[in-house]
Amino acid sequence: MFKLNLKIAWRNLWKNKGYTFINILGLSIGMASCILIFIFIRYQLSFDENFKNEDRIYRVITGWTTPDNFFESAGTPRPLPPAMRNDFKQQFDKVAAIQAGGGIIKVKDESGKERIKTSESVHYAEPDFFEILSFKWLEGNPRQSLSQPNTVVLSDEMADKLFGNWHKAVGKSINFQNKVDLKVTGIIEKTPDNSSFPLKVIISYKTYQNQGRPESTNWGTVSSTSECYVLLKEGASIDDASKSLPQFITKYYKRDNVSKESHRFQQLRDIHYNADLGNFANKVMPKKELYGLAIIGAFLLLTACINFINLATAQAVSRGKEVGVRKVMGSLRRQLIVQFLTETLTITVISLLVGCVLTEVALPGMQSLFKDHISFSIIEHPIIFVFMVVLVLLVSFLAGFYPAMVMSGYSPALAIKNKITANAAGLSLRKILVVVQFAITVILIIGTLVVLRQMSYMREKPLGFIPTAVALVDVPSDSMAITRYHTLQDQINKIPGVLSTSYCSAAPSSDFNNESNFRYNGTVKSTFQANTKTGDENYFKTFGLEIIAGKGLSKSDTLKDIVVNETMLKKLNVVNYNDAIGKSIRINDKTGNIIGVVKDFNNMSLHEPISPIVINSDKESYTTIAVKLDSKSILPAMRAIEKTWNTVLPEYVYGSTFMDDKISEYYQTEKIMGALFKVFAGVIIFISFIGLFGLISFVATQRTREVAIRKVLGASTLELVKMLNGSFLLMVFLANLVAWPLAYLFVAKWLATFTYRIDLNIWPFVFAMIISMVITLITVSIRSYKAAVANTIDALKYE
Amino acid sequence: MIQLNNIEKYYANKGIKNYVLRLVTTTIKQGEFVSIMGPSGAGKSTLLNIIGMLEEPTYGSYEFLGEDVTSLNERKRIELYRNHIGFVFQAYHLIDEMTVYENIEAPLLYKKVGSSERASRIADLLDRFNIVAKKDLFPNQLSGGQQQLVGIARALAAQPSIILADEPTGNLQSAQAEEIMTLFKKLNQEDGITIIQVTHSEKNAQYGNRILHIADGVVKEDVAVG
Repeated sequence: MFKLNLKIAWRNLWKNKGYTFINILGLSIGMASCILIFIFIRYQLSFDENFKNEDRIYRVITGWTTPDNFFESAGTPRPLPPAMRNDFKQQFDKVAAIQAGGGIIKVKDESGKERIKTSESVHYAEPDFFEILSFKWLEGNPRQSLSQPNTVVLSDEMADKLFGNWHKAVGKSINFQNKVDLKVTGIIEKTPDNSSFPLKVIISYKTYQNQGRPESTNWGTVSSTSECYVLLKEGASIDDASKSLPQFITKYYKRDNVSKESHRFQQLRDIHYNADLGNFANKVMPKKELYGLAIIGAFLLLTACINFINLATAQAVSRGKEVGVRKVMGSLRRQLIVQFLTETLTITVISLLVGCVLTEVALPGMQSLFKDHISFSIIEHPIIFVFMVVLVLLVSFLAGFYPAMVMSGYSPALAIKNKITANAAGLSLRKILVVVQFAITVILIIGTLVVLRQMSYMREKPLGFIPTAVALVDVPSDSMAITRYHTLQDQINKIPGVLSTSYCSAAPSSDFNNESNFRYNGTVKSTFQANTKTGDENYFKTFGLEIIAGKGLSKSDTLKDIVVNETMLKKLNVVNYNDAIGKSIRINDKTGNIIGVVKDFNNMSLHEPISPIVINSDKESYTTIAVKLDSKSILPAMRAIEKTWNTVLPEYVYGSTFMDDKISEYYQTEKIMGALFKVFAGVIIFISFIGLFGLISFVATQRTREVAIRKVLGASTLELVKMLNGSFLLMVFLANLVAWPLAYLFVAKWLATFTYRIDLNIWPFVFAMIISMVITLITVSIRSYKAAVANTIDALKYE
Repeated sequence: MIQLNNIEKYYANKGIKNYVLRLVTTTIKQGEFVSIMGPSGAGKSTLLNIIGMLEEPTYGSYEFLGEDVTSLNERKRIELYRNHIGFVFQAYHLIDEMTVYENIEAPLLYKKVGSSERASRIADLLDRFNIVAKKDLFPNQLSGGQQQLVGIARALAAQPSIILADEPTGNLQSAQAEEIMTLFKKLNQEDGITIIQVTHSEKNAQYGNRILHIADGVVKEDVAVG
């Protein structure tokens, strides 16, 4: 019976090639989008899985509460891990510190000649770290390999790179930062792409402690690069451990600070999804966005299913006779439902196959958009196959069940007499579905318009400084390099195309932000923290910052003069900026005088408001030399800069970025959102409108006779087209009315995440309505015009 | 075999009852060949539909093979379709997507007849109606008369005890119509199949052995033929 059903299904589909094509096209595009979204979500959810005891692993988070703010960091004070190991013996099996850093690695060959010089990110880890997180060790083990100072463990990939073959690496040594020689004592397997721990070079933590850093006993300094992981004892509860934290905090922290410290434990599986805290891999994907994608996927599928339902119920009339005949031959309703579902299943399976091809085609685009390797291999990930099976069944059911119910429910007496009309086959439901479908479409159109406008707003908004044609070239900040700063700057300034240069700790807008308490004009400690930036006397010129009172910094190697921004003075309630000139500021245990006020500039992404900022000179804190270039000669100038840099600082590794790129990196998520919205809105518009075309084709066929009679009675072509179009335009209009408030809620919520955003006005809504109405009009008119000019006699003779 | 008592059928429209059938009482015995005749709109088809359980009467009782079937559930009704009743339609109503062979096979599949039994029955029917050569053609490749032959073969496939035919020759030319009616007569006389047909044609009615004349929903005359 199933075989026969399949055969009949196939013949039926072949007979109605047009509708079948529309159905398969819509469904396969919808399914391809769903598969893409699924494999992306699957990839994102696969982060940091397969660690032993993963539900007992936590990262220690530090939080600060200030009078007007609360913020958190994934870092912990450096004395925290040993203290926690000591005080939480009851609750934790292991506590381990890991410190991220970077530096220059050099490998010499047998003759002592430098063979490889490369700048790499490194991690200093305690042996216990590897007992908490189970990495695969190819050679050595954490106890032995990382318990001594000046030892290093490499990933097999890194060892291959440094020594040609990781089997030969153990026992050899590498030079780090021109300072220490590290002995390779172990090899771990390369961490996969979907890991928040991209460990390549792991140096024993003792090596780090041996560098004699003062902050290693300081509870007041926290860097987000110093993380601490704990392994909960089996059977112990993390809530109990959290309860002991206040006591722990009182024991170790001094209580005279403006901000209050706190700690909490973050689950291992949360690390990839928490955008506020970040991780070593710098790959985060907030769950919210995954949900958003899943919703878009569901929308797409729903739209495709609605197409199917509409076309199937519209066609149902022509199947009425068959239903009647089958019923009097003794077919049960159930058997008919099975038959119709078989047909839907056939279409769905074909669509899936086409959809898989489309997925394969679209995958490279998706990968470059997300800059991640996303696999579409059902052998590697059988779950994808399971998903596809579920998808087919779900779509068959969603799309096929209602039409099957309608068709199988026909009364045989009426069906045989051809007395079933389109109206009886649930036209009102079809109207509702069309409205739903177009409401979804309109919401996406509005969403796309708003996202794109916000994006261009962000691109064009004046930031208060000029980010174009500014290269940020890394400079090493050890004492040896500092002595050559002057030479470097001089030589770079001589390169044609270089307009000005400035040493600084960070560009005006940067991810790298330091916040400090300060005293203004000798008063008590401020209630808020100031963002500190350091730069030399050319900082303002190089970045195009505008001084609005006083003057800019003068040449100095240490803190003496201070420039503050407008926000700083507003927060200090200084109305006349000139009043502030000459006042003292004590910050980081040093005192300087305010000599100028700089016009406000955006120092972070436009999601964030402008911080109060203190700018001063401090030669020892510079990490970057910013080079303002003539935009016409960027390329040759950059080549010359690199050459100069390498001759002045031959022991180090050159690295540079452009200010514009840095800024556009802030909006990576928004860029992805924008691209996704564009693509999916396009897809959904396409699906909706081919569905609409199918529907109008059907209605036109249904009303052929009516059209012919009206023509005989003297109706003009235009009047007939208007008659056929009318209900569709009304439906799309209704869909707009439904979509507007929903879309408003969505976009308003999204825009609220930006401190600097466009004003939401009526235009995107009106524009979405115009787009949807115009496309509807065109789609529908093409078909209804054809119906209206058809030969009258043919239609009437046919009966 | 069929016992109709005071069958009434009306449609209520804005409170006014439009009667289609009024107080129809009749008995049809096993082996009869009954023709229902009357002008358009007299209620012929409705009566046949009620006999075929495609429609339910508003009032009255109906016994089929001694069982009250006035309001039967779907499963039981379909049992009767599968085992006792064969339908033949004016517009043949073959399933366009199935070949001649498959069309004849369909009721047997619903009846869950085994595959070898199915094959032999279909072969027998194809042979009997001289359409063996056409078994792989689709309905639209056949003439009207041939389609109706297939329609009858399909109705007979399940070996029903009664055939209900609604103007079986209405769409056919006279030569083909004659062929069909001769076939009906033969089935009735040789195989003892009860046949009830609706027809406009006095000539066709003569093939049967009883005529029910209906006008305005009432049985006006019940005459034996031959």
